[in-house]
Amino acid sequence: MIRFVVRRILAAVPIGLVVTLGVFALVFAMPGDPLRELAGDKPIPASVLAAKRAQFHLDRPFLVQYGLYMKDMAAGQFGSTFDGQDIGEQLKLRVPVTLRLALLANAFQWIIALLFGTYAGFKRNGAADRLLMASTLFVLAVPLLVLAFTAQYVLGVQLKVLPVSGAGAGFPQSYLLPAMALAVVGFAGIARVLRTSIVESVNSDFVKTARAKGLGEQRVLWRHIVPNAILPVVTIAGYDFAGIFAGAVLTESIFNLPGLGQFLFQAIRLKEGGVVVLLSMLAFVTFVLINLAVDVLYGVLDPRVRHG
Amino acid sequence: MSGGRPQPGEVLLDVTDLSVEVDTVRGPLRLVDGVSWQVRAGQTLAILGESGSGKTVSVQALTGILDMPPCRITGGTARFRGQDLIAMQPRERRRIVGDRITMVFQDALSALNPVQSVGRQIAECYEVHRGMSRRDGMRRAVEMLDRVRIPAAASRVSDYPHQFSGGMRQRVMMAMALALDPDVVIADEPTTALDVTVQAQILELIAELQAETHMAVVLITHDLGVVADVAHDVVVMYAGRVVERAATLQALDSPVHPYTEGLLRSMPSADLKGLELPAIPGTPPSLYALPSGCAFRPRCPLAVGACADVVPPLLHVGPGREAACIERTALPGVIA
Repeated sequence: MIRFVVRRILAAVPIGLVVTLGVFALVFAMPGDPLRELAGDKPIPASVLAAKRAQFHLDRPFLVQYGLYMKDMAAGQFGSTFDGQDIGEQLKLRVPVTLRLALLANAFQWIIALLFGTYAGFKRNGAADRLLMASTLFVLAVPLLVLAFTAQYVLGVQLKVLPVSGAGAGFPQSYLLPAMALAVVGFAGIARVLRTSIVESVNSDFVKTARAKGLGEQRVLWRHIVPNAILPVVTIAGYDFAGIFAGAVLTESIFNLPGLGQFLFQAIRLKEGGVVVLLSMLAFVTFVLINLAVDVLYGVLDPRVRHG
Repeated sequence: MSGGRPQPGEVLLDVTDLSVEVDTVRGPLRLVDGVSWQVRAGQTLAILGESGSGKTVSVQALTGILDMPPCRITGGTARFRGQDLIAMQPRERRRIVGDRITMVFQDALSALNPVQSVGRQIAECYEVHRGMSRRDGMRRAVEMLDRVRIPAAASRVSDYPHQFSGGMRQRVMMAMALALDPDVVIADEPTTALDVTVQAQILELIAELQAETHMAVVLITHDLGVVADVAHDVVVMYAGRVVERAATLQALDSPVHPYTEGLLRSMPSADLKGLELPAIPGTPPSLYALPSGCAFRPRCPLAVGACADVVPPLLHVGPGREAACIERTALPGVIA
């Protein structure tokens, strides 16, 4: 088990480098000079510009810039943003915001998905099942952007039940709307996988065997159907997290939540390569760790993976 | 009536006039039509037929593991030592099915729970039906694995189904089915998924265990070779009905129903070397569009006009012999 974990982490290192380098290259390739744009129309003395360039390594070649950002990150020296904010401080403020949003959105989406998926799976082709299938199809087809603005307009502006944007109302009020928007988009896929997986498990031969052993329905359900039906759902739990993070970039910007997603969005707009590399590295590491945890869990739940 | 060890030769399971329908979008469909058979302690009954002939459906219906709905038992009884399983409440039936009557399925890989160790799956029988602790159940599971001759049973008990070979997996299924020393074992194509040598081993194992315990075995198969090897009695099914019933050796020597005859003739043997293997012409009928009268009529070499009129009843054609054919109402030897 330990060897498996170590191997996975070692394998993640080169992938992490490629991912962050790729993201950085995209930022680097964007047209325009970030510092000049930041100054707007105001003229900047050449000496100031040169000093700033040196501070943010902008005067160095592409790969050297990337290398220096990685070195600073490894040393824990996050430095400051172009407009002078301390990045370490920013992370301390912003990580809890994104964490709250992600956890709340996850809680919502898993509760809805497990309830709907399980119910539809057992009562397949019933009214609830048909409704679920139609609604998930609808939800999967509607972009998060449309959903978020609609929710903001209806629940925030018209009905005034929840704050429209900002984190001013604190937890959980300020987080409810964005978390629900994320959850609605995320739950559909999970619910459908769970439904299919339950239908498959219920109809599998080993359930017939369990009944032929004279087991009660509850025992058949909890000892035989459920342990098999959850496996595909556990698998998607890992990469679903990536969806939540990608969604957070958009949601935090729409709902003006001062989290990491919003930070990343601003950094990309200002072409702050250092911040982008830092944040994408952070996202990547979290993604790898969560997927590692899921894989370990999967091995615990499914012996076929353990021995494979 | 029930309770106590069955006497040798006692009728343990007596199925009478069992009919099963399934609801489809095109209306109800009769899968099993008036099937009757019985099996005695220490004996083996083979139910022979092609896929779709209703063999599996009939035994799953009487043990209550058939999906109902969409299936439905429309008539008949299945008495286990006098008690009708079909009329029972599920709770009552579960005390018999799984304890006194157990089942072995065709594909042990899919019929065993893939995420539970084989030991726990066997131990579950003892926990549920005998109230044993898991620890005692596991100890008994090791004994059972040993009894079905799985090498190194003590260490293999915590292995999972995918870690066994096909033949060993089928032995695990047998261990599970025999764990509670049942009176009747229903084996649904237990050797179909196995290669021939392993097949023979499993059949031998069944026969040996049967000799020890005097259990009754209901063996569902489409393989005539298997029937010839182990069965005492045989019931031949076609399109949901019993078309012939006999003590095995007789049926194999002198089939009465043209379908049984066709099956026997299409069995490969050394005598046919170099010759084309005879086959029954045509295909089994769709249950959606059963021919009127005898369902075998369109494929039958003996068919006459009257065959289309009524479904032929099972007629007594000789001592212990019955067949459902209006053209064959006596044993072949007697006709000649």
